[in-house]
Amino acid sequence: MIDPESARSLWFPIAAGTDLAARHVFHARLLGRELAVWRADDGHPNAWENRCLHRGVRLTIGINDGAELVCRYHGWRYANRTAECTYIPAHPADAPARTVCNTRYPLIERHGLLWCAEAPGPATSLPELPDELSLTMRAIPVAAPLAAVRTALIELGAVHDGKQLHGAIGEVLYLLQPVDASRTVIRGLLRPAADRSRDERTDRAATANATAYGAADEALLLEHDERLERLRRAIEADPARRHDPDDWPVVAPLVAASLATMPEPGAEGRAAPLRLRVGSMVRTADGSVLEIDLLPLDADAHLPGATPGAHIDLHLPNGLVRQYSLANAPGQTDRYRIGVLREPVSTGGSAWLFERLRTGDVLAASVPRNGFALRRDAVDTLLIAGGIGITALASMTMTLQRGGHAYRLCYLARSAEHFALMDRLAPLGDALECLSGLDAAASRAVIAERLGPYREAHHVYVCGPTGLIGCVRELAAELGWPDEAVHFEHFGNAAPLDTRGAFQVRLARSGLNLTVPDGQTLLQTLREHGVPVPSSCEQGACGTCRVAVLDGQPDHRDVYLNAAERKRGDCLMSCVSRASSAALTLDL
Amino acid sequence: MAGTDAGVDAGGGALRLHDYALSGTGYKVRLLLSMLDIAAERIEVDFYPAAEHRGDAFLALNPLGQLPVLQHGDLVLRDSKAILIYLASLHDARGDWWPVGDAVRTAQTVQWLAFADELTATAGRARLIEGFFYPGDLPTLRRRAHECLRILDRHLWFAERAGHGWLVAGSRPTLADLACFACVALSEEGGVMHEDYPAIRRWCDRVGRLPGFVSMPGVFPPGPGPDRGPDRDGVPSPVPTS
Amino acid sequence: MIAAVQTPPVDCAAATARPATDPVAQALWHPLCAMETLHQDGALSTRLMDEPLRVSIAGGRAVVQAPQRDGATLPAVVRFGYVWTRPDGVDDPHSGLFQIPEYDEPDRRNVHAATVGVRTSAPRAVENFLDMGHFPFVHTGVLGAEPHTEVREYEVALNEAGTEVLATRCRFHQPQAAAGAAQGMLVEYVYRVPHPYCSVLYKSCPSDTSRLDVIALFLQPVGQERVRAHALVSVIDDDSSDLAIRMFQQSIFAQDKPILENQRPVRLPLDPRAETPIRADRSAIVYRRWLSALGLTYGCLPAPA
Repeated sequence: MIDPESARSLWFPIAAGTDLAARHVFHARLLGRELAVWRADDGHPNAWENRCLHRGVRLTIGINDGAELVCRYHGWRYANRTAECTYIPAHPADAPARTVCNTRYPLIERHGLLWCAEAPGPATSLPELPDELSLTMRAIPVAAPLAAVRTALIELGAVHDGKQLHGAIGEVLYLLQPVDASRTVIRGLLRPAADRSRDERTDRAATANATAYGAADEALLLEHDERLERLRRAIEADPARRHDPDDWPVVAPLVAASLATMPEPGAEGRAAPLRLRVGSMVRTADGSVLEIDLLPLDADAHLPGATPGAHIDLHLPNGLVRQYSLANAPGQTDRYRIGVLREPVSTGGSAWLFERLRTGDVLAASVPRNGFALRRDAVDTLLIAGGIGITALASMTMTLQRGGHAYRLCYLARSAEHFALMDRLAPLGDALECLSGLDAAASRAVIAERLGPYREAHHVYVCGPTGLIGCVRELAAELGWPDEAVHFEHFGNAAPLDTRGAFQVRLARSGLNLTVPDGQTLLQTLREHGVPVPSSCEQGACGTCRVAVLDGQPDHRDVYLNAAERKRGDCLMSCVSRASSAALTLDL
Repeated sequence: MAGTDAGVDAGGGALRLHDYALSGTGYKVRLLLSMLDIAAERIEVDFYPAAEHRGDAFLALNPLGQLPVLQHGDLVLRDSKAILIYLASLHDARGDWWPVGDAVRTAQTVQWLAFADELTATAGRARLIEGFFYPGDLPTLRRRAHECLRILDRHLWFAERAGHGWLVAGSRPTLADLACFACVALSEEGGVMHEDYPAIRRWCDRVGRLPGFVSMPGVFPPGPGPDRGPDRDGVPSPVPTS
Repeated sequence: MIAAVQTPPVDCAAATARPATDPVAQALWHPLCAMETLHQDGALSTRLMDEPLRVSIAGGRAVVQAPQRDGATLPAVVRFGYVWTRPDGVDDPHSGLFQIPEYDEPDRRNVHAATVGVRTSAPRAVENFLDMGHFPFVHTGVLGAEPHTEVREYEVALNEAGTEVLATRCRFHQPQAAAGAAQGMLVEYVYRVPHPYCSVLYKSCPSDTSRLDVIALFLQPVGQERVRAHALVSVIDDDSSDLAIRMFQQSIFAQDKPILENQRPVRLPLDPRAETPIRADRSAIVYRRWLSALGLTYGCLPAPA
């Protein structure tokens, strides 16, 4: 009799490698727990709790689009490897909260099979299986508990050698998967009929997946399959072998407490928990841009996923913290790609990176944050990139391309040599338009023409120098584009920080009454009083430190909010903005 | 109007299909109509709860009181197998779906069409019991449906190994795949689940990715298949190593 | 304390009848069948909260009998074209059913659109009915289509008496809001939940925008994890045939069925940590809190104390 609780630390085979067909979701069950098992286009196999975090719909009826698993109910998308929710269609303007993440189970591919252990103990390891048993049999599901199946196999002549259950030893090996209290899957590995030479059997997985089998192998598979089918029928006909399926209750993982209620403002400070190793460094755009790949320290690990438009804080060894947009392809979590522009007058960030950074260096970084989220519900999206602004828009265009959405990217650069990230952008084909050497008037004319009069459900995203953003916003307004359809992100805020003028702040939820004094920002005051508010650029450009305003008149000093948002006055950027009324009431 | 079948003039006029949007047997025919791009007038039968298929007017058309029924000129055909073969004979000039001229493959197609009837009688009936309150012995029907699905899963697993992945060996699906798919795709509504049948689940993706595939309420179309060549019809192929 | 969630067996045998122990649910009126079906079949057998019942017509009135209670008669009323009963046997004239005033308007077409068996719990089916975010994915091309997936902010609250959940200003972009409409538009719905297992949807009537069309879902809890869903359509519409109205509703239900039948747990979890709500789910949150406040357990997994 198997004890499910101690068995949860052991490795069992749950699928054959060939079961994870391209763009398919395989339905597995181990010790009563259902798993959605799927292989992404990059070959990586995933085993997740078979429930969407939203309303519990099985992910096995979802869609594997090669990089993400999409839930059938509301289209929530979960990324390969990280199982992070990257998109919630009901709220296209918001990047999902960082920690909406499905439960992953350890999965290892070996011997042509996928092995899973719900909670592997430190001492448990995969069994060592002989290489010559390279033919994977069809999995036979039997409606009987594992102990009964094992007994039946032994009665049939199988032998347990202390480690494994063998038919004829060296010819067939039986692996038993405890599906639940009343069902077991028998997985067999056979020695192929043809005696293949060692050279041919280089890659186990490739051999097991090859579609062309010799006729002899076919006959062998049929013979063993038939033998097990007979066994199955005998077992299932015997009522003594059955068991009550409800005997192994499974505990569904609970959602994190912070996610159980409506989304709230974030609670972290300016943390830098990631350690990134500099991989490749390439100078492009006539030497003016440094494209850097940042890798996790552990080669097998993956990095937290990033939604298109996200950026990270990079903490440089010289003490400076700088924000860089991630130019990642959709679902790419093995590295972060950033592009740094050589500033002629650098405040210390780009100069240090250009002159001091070496491959192999380790930098501290924040997790990706997104204040410039991409809506995927537009009928058409126009993206306008000026210079290094392309880094913020590249991942957006790749996401739109992959999703089959209509979009156009207009990339403006100083000269024909000054285009960066072209390896990422080349596959965009006709959707990409590169324009160089245009003066202000010519740029303006082109932008006006590309924008055109506003049509419903069209959106425009712009990132680049302040002048370009201003020009796009102005023209869009003239052409009737509403504020909600115009999205922009500034690199920074050129306006100097002015901390003059004290004001009162009342915190509605915690009941605190604070004074923000002359010489301090609201963000600093809040932090001093133990109210955690996240931040990133701390210049009023990225949106991370946004707090909601319930009463009072904000004095906006940021470059993040658009005109409508400013007028509404229901939020402000706590790192730079202050109050024009004597007091503000905040939703904190 | 059924009359005798001798000397039926089927030559002229439009095809008229008496059907019900939620009918599993009707789905078999709707699939072929779409795959072959055949125009047919659809006459919706008020199956539930009015039970129009048990009324006098419909019984005059099909005394068995079952859907679908095809009319073509004076010809009245009942039974989805007959309708599928008739439509294929008229419109499938290349013999893709109904491989006329190939004795082995046509016989095998008919063998699996009969198998689809077995699925209809078991899994299909279970669905009618659960969703439409028909009478019947649910546990027995489900057990027999599972026996059929076991046979189907095993057959498809070896068909994948052989490199094609269809019910009748060959580079293309036949009427057999459509007929069996319609029952299988709806079987979970009757409590006959697919979890134990991975080869059937992969085959459902393959059928769903065929050009001209249509779904029906209760059947989700699979997401797009992989872009690359040998994977196109979803038969497992070597995993990309890069 | 972690709520244990049992995984159901893959191949369910018929649900073993367990005596219903939820007094809150037993004190509610539940629908059993459409009068039109009763007239057509003469009598019918059904199940309510794990108990077999027999519905017949005697002297022009609907009669509900419980074979397992020695054939005792249960109270029966006919409302909105359906026979309703109360499992606790109390025939209290003051604890009547909710009202749908539109039903009695003389120019209304009241159509019994469907009675469908679904293997889900009644509260799950109510939440599905309230939800709009699934329109582009489950009712593609009919009630919604990508890329118009946004669920705009709406208002939702429990009424003062604590007897109904009301959600207003529910807006969604629909491809073909009315037959013959050339393009999509934003439609606005109002949802009422006047009974733990019933929900009523109101939308603007295409032929007379000053009035509302009504679609009502009445769920009969056959068991905790099985329902018969009855759909009433009450519209001002001189053009569509009854068959067309029925087919539309039956198709919508049939599209929801595989979603509902693939939700785990089958019963509605009232523990806030069981699932992740987003702003679009506010009506579901209010509904779940209401069920907890009522003390309803049938079809639910109550929150741990």
